Amino acid sequence: MIEARDISVAVGGKRIVSHVDFAARPGEVSAIVGPNGSGKTTLLKALTGELAYTGTVRLNGRDLVSMKPVEVATLRAVLPQSTALSFPFTVREIVRLGLIGGRSGVLPGEDARLPERALARVDLDGFAGRFYQELSGGEQQRVQLARVLCQVWAPVLEGRPRYLFLDEPVSSLDVKHQLIIMNIARDFARRGGGVVAILHDLNLTAMYADRIFVLHRGELAAAGAPMDVLKDELIERVFDCRLKVGALPEGSVPFVLPQSAA
Amino acid sequence: MAEQSIARGASRVMAADGDRSNRARFVILLLCLALALSVFLSLTAGASDASAVRVIRNWFTGTVPADAALAARDQLIVYDIRMPRVLLGVLIGVALAVCGAVMQGLFRNPLADPGLIGVSAGSSLGAVAIIVLGTTWLAPVTLAFGVLALPLAAFFGGLAVTLLLYAIATRQGRTSVATMLLAGIAISALAMALTGILIFMADDRQLRDLTFWQLGSLAGATWQKVGTVGPVIVLALTAMPFLSRGLNALALGEATAGHLGIPVQRLKYTAIVGVSAAVGASVAVSGGIGFIGIVVPHVLRLAIGPDNRYLLPASALLGASLLLIADSVARTIVAPAELPIGIVTAVAGAPFFLWILLRKRGIVDL
Repeated sequence: MIEARDISVAVGGKRIVSHVDFAARPGEVSAIVGPNGSGKTTLLKALTGELAYTGTVRLNGRDLVSMKPVEVATLRAVLPQSTALSFPFTVREIVRLGLIGGRSGVLPGEDARLPERALARVDLDGFAGRFYQELSGGEQQRVQLARVLCQVWAPVLEGRPRYLFLDEPVSSLDVKHQLIIMNIARDFARRGGGVVAILHDLNLTAMYADRIFVLHRGELAAAGAPMDVLKDELIERVFDCRLKVGALPEGSVPFVLPQSAA
Repeated sequence: MAEQSIARGASRVMAADGDRSNRARFVILLLCLALALSVFLSLTAGASDASAVRVIRNWFTGTVPADAALAARDQLIVYDIRMPRVLLGVLIGVALAVCGAVMQGLFRNPLADPGLIGVSAGSSLGAVAIIVLGTTWLAPVTLAFGVLALPLAAFFGGLAVTLLLYAIATRQGRTSVATMLLAGIAISALAMALTGILIFMADDRQLRDLTFWQLGSLAGATWQKVGTVGPVIVLALTAMPFLSRGLNALALGEATAGHLGIPVQRLKYTAIVGVSAAVGASVAVSGGIGFIGIVVPHVLRLAIGPDNRYLLPASALLGASLLLIADSVARTIVAPAELPIGIVTAVAGAPFFLWILLRKRGIVDL
């Protein structure tokens, strides 16, 4: 379980996140939503130890501050919003980097084949020999996800749950791949791991998240199950936009929801 | 050059599964052969017709040669002049190429080289100070250390500048690589200005010494110099193989490397101290030898990819080979006089580098 109490983060003297309580349980997908600039990524960076924060973050009961980088790396993997590379790596070489510090959790001999398996999971079969820099943005994002999956391939290792932190994992993906990626996240949780994801699409969030944390101006505006959180009043207040939950468009305007996926 | 065709041949066969480790091992094997050949060539070639083969054969078989005087002369040339020079060339070639590769990994930029973090400028300042002030203000230093005064001053000059930069760029236990780069430019400029003042004060003989030192040369290699800088370079470089995995992770950015379990701050510190020690020692005995640190890792990245587990050893081998070949050219092309090796590496390295860039335009993402 990831438990964060009273998290505040200031960057350059400006407070970005104030007094946020957060908890992500193994077996669940926890989504962080909120408008641009509400502090979602900053909160995620505090939870992963990338930014200095006040308050406490516990990872499976241990204080994050007291853990070594390599210990943390065996318990959780982090997918950043985007990754620019400085050297011409092949896709396979990038995915293999996921095996550097963490422990995949597969049998020792299977590590060598893990990059191919991870690439197949993110629908990039046959991409191993391509150069990362030659791929499209959406493909690059999926390569990075494959790398992250290699790091914590088994959702539970030696009886302890492990976690995926995903910062906008589907932001540059087409709808088919949005569903593929979200299914990977849900599957990871179903098998005992925990997932923390920043999402923008409220429909996808409602469909996949077990628990939603809504950030507004650096503070926690609401937290709970999608049913309890996604209400007209909250959406208007947080997103500054008058929307009706569950309202169908008038007349013959077509609309396509991820929930309709067969 | 043999290395060119290796690079070209290897980049043509792009493994379909994206795994270049077998190719990397093959290239490293070829580079071992290339280094052995270069060592043999350097021991044999020179202004004198002394035959290394003859000397070594005599030594192995225990033959007493017919012309004892000639044999003694050959032995002197091979043992006391060429051998230390070859060893020094290997040490410096390895240091320059490996440090170039490590700096490029650390700064995540294929154009980075040890000169960027001020090592070269600091070393120059130290060396020039000894050349110009060695008989006046710094006379006690030259008296105390003799011929070692110049390499020592260069070494500590480089180390001092690097540590100063490191202190400037480190806040709350985190070193900002970008700050270090920018501060490096400022401090290098300052060191060069101080060097300029010293050059302004220098007399004609000192100016000639200075110019030659700055152009770089392996001339004057002795067993004593090998014994002085060898341990420093070897010690500094033994840390480097342990950095290769961390440097690979660093290609994804500092934050991601940390998420992968790499102790990033310790990695940066080890790399910077190791590089400044190895490069400081190299510059101290050989002056400014350019291009090895940029061209060698770059060519190898095209051939075997950027994986530092293979890139670092391959750079060491190719750097040593190229420096020995360049030194052989420098020694023989205007024999019995000698060209400064820095001129050879620049004349050969610069056009070659441009040609590589033009051929590979698009893949190199600067």
